Amino acid sequence: MLTVKNPVLKVLTSLQLTIVCLVALMILVTAATLAQVGMGTAGAVNAYMRSYLVWWDVPNSQWMIPVFPGGATVGLVLMVNLIAAQLVRLEATWSKAGLWVVHLGLILFVGGEFVSGMFQVESQMAIENGQTVNFVEGRDPELVLIDVTDPAWDEVYAIRAGPLAREGSVAVPGTPVTLKIHQYAQNAQLRNRTPFDPPARATAGVGTSVTMIPVPPVTADNAVDQGAALVEPIAGGRSYGTWLVSQGLGAPQSFTHEGRTYQLAMRHRRQYLPYSVTLKKFSHDKYAGTDIPKNFSSLVHLVNPRTGENRDVLISMNQPMRYDGKAFYQASFGKGDTLSILQVVENPGWLIPYISCVLVSLGLIVHFTVSLRKSSRKREAARLAQAAQEA
Amino acid sequence: MKKKIGKYTAWIAGGLALVSALLMLRAPGQVRGLDVDGFVRLPVLEGGRLKPLDSTARNALLLIRGQQSFRHQDRTVGSGEWILDVLFRPQVADLQPIFVIDNPDVLGVMKMERTKDRYYSFRQIIPFINEIQREANAAQAIEAKLRTPYQSAVANLFERLYLYHRLKNTIQLENQQGLAAEIAGATAPGAAQRQATLADLAYFRPIPPLPGQKAEAWSNTGEALRALAMGAVNPGLDPMARIAWAYSVQDAPAFNKAVKDLQIATFGAWPEAQTHVDHETTFNRAQPFYVGMAIYVLALLMVFGSWAWKPEILRPAAFGLLCAGAIVQTAGLVSRIVLQGRPPVTNLYSSAVFVGWGAVLLGIVLERMYRNGFGTAVASASGFASLLVAHHLSGDGDTMEMMRAVLDSNFWLATHVTTITIGYSGMFLAAAIAIAWTLRKHFARVSPEISKSLLGMVYGIIAFSLFFSFVGTVLGGIWADQSWGRFWGWDPKENGALLIVLWCAIILHARWGGFARERGIMTMAIFGGVITSLSWFGVNMLGVGLHSYGFMDKAFWALSGFVGSQLLLMALAMAPRQFWKGKAARAAGDEAHPTKA
Repeated sequence: MLTVKNPVLKVLTSLQLTIVCLVALMILVTAATLAQVGMGTAGAVNAYMRSYLVWWDVPNSQWMIPVFPGGATVGLVLMVNLIAAQLVRLEATWSKAGLWVVHLGLILFVGGEFVSGMFQVESQMAIENGQTVNFVEGRDPELVLIDVTDPAWDEVYAIRAGPLAREGSVAVPGTPVTLKIHQYAQNAQLRNRTPFDPPARATAGVGTSVTMIPVPPVTADNAVDQGAALVEPIAGGRSYGTWLVSQGLGAPQSFTHEGRTYQLAMRHRRQYLPYSVTLKKFSHDKYAGTDIPKNFSSLVHLVNPRTGENRDVLISMNQPMRYDGKAFYQASFGKGDTLSILQVVENPGWLIPYISCVLVSLGLIVHFTVSLRKSSRKREAARLAQAAQEA
Repeated sequence: MKKKIGKYTAWIAGGLALVSALLMLRAPGQVRGLDVDGFVRLPVLEGGRLKPLDSTARNALLLIRGQQSFRHQDRTVGSGEWILDVLFRPQVADLQPIFVIDNPDVLGVMKMERTKDRYYSFRQIIPFINEIQREANAAQAIEAKLRTPYQSAVANLFERLYLYHRLKNTIQLENQQGLAAEIAGATAPGAAQRQATLADLAYFRPIPPLPGQKAEAWSNTGEALRALAMGAVNPGLDPMARIAWAYSVQDAPAFNKAVKDLQIATFGAWPEAQTHVDHETTFNRAQPFYVGMAIYVLALLMVFGSWAWKPEILRPAAFGLLCAGAIVQTAGLVSRIVLQGRPPVTNLYSSAVFVGWGAVLLGIVLERMYRNGFGTAVASASGFASLLVAHHLSGDGDTMEMMRAVLDSNFWLATHVTTITIGYSGMFLAAAIAIAWTLRKHFARVSPEISKSLLGMVYGIIAFSLFFSFVGTVLGGIWADQSWGRFWGWDPKENGALLIVLWCAIILHARWGGFARERGIMTMAIFGGVITSLSWFGVNMLGVGLHSYGFMDKAFWALSGFVGSQLLLMALAMAPRQFWKGKAARAAGDEAHPTKA
């Protein structure tokens, strides 16, 4: 073992730091678990695990005080500690080989989680029996301007939540239209106007008879925000009125400028796919004489004009369809078993945990076998010594 | 010579325990000459699976009364006789005290005071059924977690009353013409209405499928009568009608003949059902986990005895008993695996059984390695405790319920769930050893050698648990990745498993760094048991996440009591050395024994 002189390096490589980090991690995990009751899983995880500091919102004030290092900080320190200790303190001998492999596996594991956190994209595909869909939808909203003039072809221009939240003017490239965002709410309730409501800010479309009430974003895991915005399209120096758009409104609203018809709508963010999926049949089996679900599955038909693929795929619980870097899972259903909801996940690092798990397991087996043999040899020697003494 | 005597006592004690376990398998005698055993061995479809009526009767009585048999009019009434009365002599069953009511407010609804006797008959309750139903409906509108004890109790009483009502109306409608008359008049006016009511209320399906139908197409009598009206004669109906009539008039020869005929009609067409129900009836009767619990208590008492008197005889005898208990429990586990066609752990109940089994096996290995009685003591204590927990978890009815779609994967149940549960076993066993060490330190002398070997045991088992908890947790992540597309979702149960892994890692690193010596490691091991219990049961009480299928509220106080007692034991373990018993302990103070991996 090398002797470490540099005090900073000494702290960084120390076992004490490892234990402090592990204890901090336990506290964070416990807090994040308990907080799920009130904040929902995503809220708790963002507050405790995916943050550098845990903030305490001082009651009755504007103050926020950091009270604890967040999961990201602890994880980083632990990684540095692990790598530094590995290189400086742990001897490169065969008897420590198991520990080397374990620590290597752990580094890979945390790295994999980092990759997932950065690059994993989750979305959904909802298909009704017989319907064909060529896009997936995320949780975030987007404001779309669709040029529907050509009956055979829709031209879709989308504006994401970020620019919407800044509430300014957005020029839509490729069109003469500029959208002026008057108000944007990440989550809003809509209800029919009553005579007691303040005057409507929308001047055109269905928004003139609807009141929009911004509400706090949802926290429950199965709930989704319903975004809403007041938008004024301006083209050729002319205003086409202020429109209310929201995921809560059904029919698209449209206006016409210089012979071209544009639809305005707020919807879940879509990603279009170079292939399409048709739901042929959704099955929901139950055990005989009970309501206990036995199996859910979706028989889908996959068509990819680029590759010429044209085949059926059965997606069921525990058996996803992996295609084109995405995995489609049976997630939910609705509308009297005629609607199937598929969870769609794209994660370039999905294989890393599998590899690191194998590494850590092997490493632990090697290390504990080595120590078990050592200790049983010691015990045997002690027993022999005792026997010799008694004799 | 001494060694030989020890060997014999081990075999004799173990053998005696196994023989008494086998005695449980004796066939019960007839009741008033009626072949009750033959009747409860008939298969029925209930809760989505085929089982002997014996299981349905036991579970129903367990749900309603909390026991599988009861005393009435100075004799013991078994579940088989009880179900016959409910089905065919409801006027007799209505007088049997089977509804356990503890909540004083519920008794208040019935204008009764709490007395020593907590059991009430249907006849005593029925005058207040409207009030009970009204209160229960109000309670059921509230989410289960938020109900007051009274609301839970009244909702639960109503559910049990309804279950009883359904049982009474499963084969034939109560207070109406019997099944024979229904068969004769299947197409008569008004029959369709009665068939529909019967088909609706029936709690189980005793009529086998017709040849050519699917194997799970069992029907209740209402459905079979409806089919009869359409012209499909089911050979199971007629013997069932004769059973109903013969039992109602207590005609033993006619009853026994009809049971035989129904057996022939059922098993002739579905011979594979017979193997299954015979196996399950035997399993029910053997009650392997109950017997195992008794054997573990004996083993534990024997170890305690060995510390005071004749260790050369009592210690091996205790080990023999422990092994016998392990054999009985293993037989029970294997039986369940065969009956369910699934890996050993499928719900909270079976996880408790399996955790105990793992701890017992580990303890046996430790005892073989160290031979100082501690392995036997902690193994039998863990075996007993876990089976006791399992016993209390079994009150919800069928412990072999069907698996929900998302869990329906034998591969992942066998790998993820089993490994995680073995990790739990190790954590509890390590905690048990640490507790044994603490208590011995305070109440008796512990030689430095024994102390050292106990520390070795704890270290080894924590390492073992770290491995299984880690692998189990990651396998769970992989399962989640396969079914939901996310490796880690911060679900409370996943977090609980992660906490166990982290705590094991902390213990091992603290030992390697020399920050925790004997006392420290032992205290940390006890806390490991606390973390494991919270991760096992506590997270279910939060009621969030994908694993909350095992939700339970009653166990909250039991869990709090356990955690409190463990914290006390940790304080005891940490108590300064002047509180310990004996000079030997003082001499073996932990600073004198720095340990190193």
